[in-house]
Amino acid sequence: MNNTNPPTYRSAAAAGIASPRLQKSLHGLQDRFGKGAMEIWATMDDREMRHRVKDSRMNTFAHLDIILAELAKNVRARGGQVHFAATAQEAIDYTLAVAKKNKVKRVVKGKSMTSAEINIDPALEGASIEVVETDLGEYIIQLAGDKPSHIIAPCIHLDRNQIGELFAEKLGIDYSNDPPTLTMAARSALREKMLGAEMGLTGCNLACAETGQISLVSNEGNIRMATTMPPVLVALMGMERVVATLDEHREALHLLTRGAALQKLSTYVSFLGGPANADDPDGPKEFHLVIIDNGRSKILADPEFREVLACIRCGACLNICPVYGKIGGHAYNSPYCGPIGAVVTPLLDGINKHADLCKGETLCGACKDICTVEIDLPRMLAALRHKLAYGSDRWNTRQHNPIEAYVYSLWKLLVSNSFLYRLSLRLGWLLQRPFVKKNKMISKMAGLADGWTADRDLPPLAGRTFTDLWKRKYAVGRPSASKAQKKGGS
Amino acid sequence: MDSQNAFLRNIRQSLGLSPDEERPKRLFPALFAKTDTTLILQGIKNRTAEQQDELVELLKTNARALSITTHIVRTYEEAAAVIIHLVRTKSPEFTPTKHIIHHDHPDLAALQLWKRFDREGEGVTVHTTFSPDRQLREKTIASFIGITAPDIGVADSATLVQFTATGCPRSTSLVPSIHIAFLKKENLVADLREAYALLRERARLDSYVFITGPSKTADIEAQMVHGAHGPREVHLLLFCLSVVAETPNEAPIPLVPLKEE
Repeated sequence: MNNTNPPTYRSAAAAGIASPRLQKSLHGLQDRFGKGAMEIWATMDDREMRHRVKDSRMNTFAHLDIILAELAKNVRARGGQVHFAATAQEAIDYTLAVAKKNKVKRVVKGKSMTSAEINIDPALEGASIEVVETDLGEYIIQLAGDKPSHIIAPCIHLDRNQIGELFAEKLGIDYSNDPPTLTMAARSALREKMLGAEMGLTGCNLACAETGQISLVSNEGNIRMATTMPPVLVALMGMERVVATLDEHREALHLLTRGAALQKLSTYVSFLGGPANADDPDGPKEFHLVIIDNGRSKILADPEFREVLACIRCGACLNICPVYGKIGGHAYNSPYCGPIGAVVTPLLDGINKHADLCKGETLCGACKDICTVEIDLPRMLAALRHKLAYGSDRWNTRQHNPIEAYVYSLWKLLVSNSFLYRLSLRLGWLLQRPFVKKNKMISKMAGLADGWTADRDLPPLAGRTFTDLWKRKYAVGRPSASKAQKKGGS
Repeated sequence: MDSQNAFLRNIRQSLGLSPDEERPKRLFPALFAKTDTTLILQGIKNRTAEQQDELVELLKTNARALSITTHIVRTYEEAAAVIIHLVRTKSPEFTPTKHIIHHDHPDLAALQLWKRFDREGEGVTVHTTFSPDRQLREKTIASFIGITAPDIGVADSATLVQFTATGCPRSTSLVPSIHIAFLKKENLVADLREAYALLRERARLDSYVFITGPSKTADIEAQMVHGAHGPREVHLLLFCLSVVAETPNEAPIPLVPLKEE
């Protein structure tokens, strides 16, 4: 999340909205996957499963110290090494030390958002280690020097022509915009990289404490490659990505693959619990699990936000959110975009720094409806707005917009005093006159208010209030209740 | 361990507990309580032939939807014939010559593949993943077909569960362009619930993988392409000694007799 000079939320959102290509892709994505996931939830035989998995996630967090200790114990019993990293830097330092010890020249990455969160690539590259993304979408993004814009479909903002041009330039192949041809070109290029790498670096979808294993989900097989062919494996795991038992794992996996891509199962689900045996011809000789806090314990400590840790990163909320569906993922300026990103990014990386995210969402509730584990994201978006409005010592958040606060204080005063309210309406009516155009609309307001008319015209304040009109119409000759009753003949 | 202690201390503090008081697992038996799988395991064991045949049908239907080609085979000879046909008709993707590799597994040894490619000029090299072999990595990379005998098949999702074991390495079902899986009907279960019950019985396994169809991606304009990094084709040889005879195979089986030595 340490981007240099990232575009603002507004500018990136405007660029997303202005891109017909992105709009088409997002529409297709939401039409298929958003609707599809809702359909699956509506027709599931076991309607209680989502609720149950959520409960089990929350119960895991209430006992996280015990469960992580059990996970570490069991991974170590299998010969794996476990490192607990309180910060991103600690995770980077540890991984780098493992790489240096093993004289690693190339790292192949399985798709890992945690690795993006801790921004490990520059550190590895700084140590003259080649870093190669192996998920096709992430590879395309890496070749393009771009950033992912969807949790599951990272290069959804690029079309086949752009990817064709990119491959022609970077891979030296003849230009083609045929997805199978492009995929095969990447397959060949990445196969060489994967077979020749000394270290695999992955995330962890769900670890299972009971068995001492991590599990990784992929459709492409890149994660299997990255965990099988290099002699060293480092798996980066956010500390919340753990379940206690294999039973809980099954249900969480059941929901994950459905929420993510409407699949009963993704093509590959790998379970790994330590290095390969001495006589195995493949599999890592060293297995390192890095369990990362990096701000998560602060979320854990706050009952208002703990629920967000239950997220299993299926990305379903992106596939239904009307805001994400228009602005795309780049505006969120984080590896975690969409509604989940709008909550988790500010909590991990600063509420003030990412103030636009929670304000940009509509609180329509669609993300809550689709969430695989029924996380109440709208509630937390509102809670983040509250922090921005009033400041929060716990979250080291200052009042985001003092002027806005003054305006609302004034508004509160006006609407609670009838005389002042009427007076201000009258005043407003007079002051607006230079701004009312021939079509009797206000197209541009002055100063701080100009944002209100940036994308739409506003009707002017009426000369007479509703109360005035009512009085004028009915104050004289208003039928009395007794007359009306007689007329009704009752 | 210092980093672990500090880390877990911090978690306890975040949970509003005394940071220095470790909570032993034994005081929270419900956390790791196992559900009773006796009935599930009994159900698998006592499945009737008819029920098994239903699972076969279900598996075939689900496999088709995932681009897995299912071949019902009744004998080792038929299984070998399908493999020979595939080896002969498919082209290698990364190498000029045809190498195939199979797990060191009794069911695959019974196919005697090493002596089946003796046509003049055929030039098929058959490797077995014997564990002491130091060149297995190179042989696997050179092979265009990898043959394994998965330990569990799951009908509901058309999933193969492949355990990693001595003589059964991970890369055989991953690195070659085509994966052929030999699955015995009796290893077929209904759904993941049953598969997990069996997995729990094998809790000491370090590594296993669920394989559900060929490798695929839809990262370019959401168009599905098979063969992103793993095998681009998966063929399932379902070994059914008493299979429903009326069910036609999806792919024709050219019978190739085993030559007498």
